[in-house]
Amino acid sequence: MLKKLLILSLLFCSNLAMAETLPVLSGVGGNFSAIANGEEIEFNDYRGKVVVLSFGYTNCADICPLTLGYYKRLYNMLSAEEQQMIRMLFVTVDPEYDTPTHIKEFVGHFNKDFIGVTGTRAQIDEIISLFHAEYNKLSTGVVATDKIRRITQKEVSEETGEDTAYLYSHTVSLYLVDKEGDTRALQYTGTPIEEFADKIRILINE
Amino acid sequence: MSNIKGLFILALGLLLASCSAPAPQIQLDGFWIVQPPSVARGTAGYGTIKNTGKEADTLLNVSSDIGFVMMHKTDLVNGMGRMIHMSKMVIAPASELVFEPMSYHLMFSKMADRIHQEGEKATLTFEFEKSGIISVEVPIKP
Repeated sequence: MLKKLLILSLLFCSNLAMAETLPVLSGVGGNFSAIANGEEIEFNDYRGKVVVLSFGYTNCADICPLTLGYYKRLYNMLSAEEQQMIRMLFVTVDPEYDTPTHIKEFVGHFNKDFIGVTGTRAQIDEIISLFHAEYNKLSTGVVATDKIRRITQKEVSEETGEDTAYLYSHTVSLYLVDKEGDTRALQYTGTPIEEFADKIRILINE
Repeated sequence: MSNIKGLFILALGLLLASCSAPAPQIQLDGFWIVQPPSVARGTAGYGTIKNTGKEADTLLNVSSDIGFVMMHKTDLVNGMGRMIHMSKMVIAPASELVFEPMSYHLMFSKMADRIHQEGEKATLTFEFEKSGIISVEVPIKP
């Protein structure tokens, strides 16, 4: 009986300890160079800050606005001091379309503090590789036209030139990176906001 | 004789009533369009289509005065989000089709500039196989 109690209390203590620390996800993430809000940066420049990083693109209608809306609610949950300690990065998988100005304006719509990251295709591929993420371009040619119902245009904005917007599939994880640049958790927009905010606070207080 | 005639009319009435009973009953609930950032060329619309009738109906097409509309579904496979075009969607009797983030949604492109103006509304027109065309005015909001 005593032995059982001892084992139970040990398990309880280890669970408590687990709740207050986040393991390092070794091999996920690393330093990279890119253009963030129009300026050339290295990811290591964010050392000393906790970073939330995710992938997307500005022509994404469903997932990415949801992700950035989630960023906004998460960010608003933090105190001004905590906000000082965190950087919210949104990395495009469509750098050809998402110019530095374009992505900055897109993420700025949700919060002026958010950072839109773009770069060359090679730079983006490097970030994707470092974070074990994926993306695929779904050009309009990939989708059989008989699978698209007829669409009706009654009133559209004046637009010149060819519409070069592409759809992409991409990794939807939110990466939580600590002050040392180590990835500590993979979350998603289904994670309760308070739970995510608590994990951020754990890393801020380390 | 008049009693028999009356019964006949009653029976005919009941027969007609029973013929019309299985029709689908479509109701559009809470549709809205996400006001996109000014540089975005796409956005999404969400809401619920309820079929309270006793027969299935099929959504064939959605159009709008605010831009092109396609019926999409976000599919999550191994942490990857991808977009699937839906050609038509069957709404079974006594069921609902929910358009929500990370699931079925209306995808808008080639949008009119007024989508960025505060307080704007748009018309969504749904075309059903049996219920025909149903239009609804929806808010555009952040």
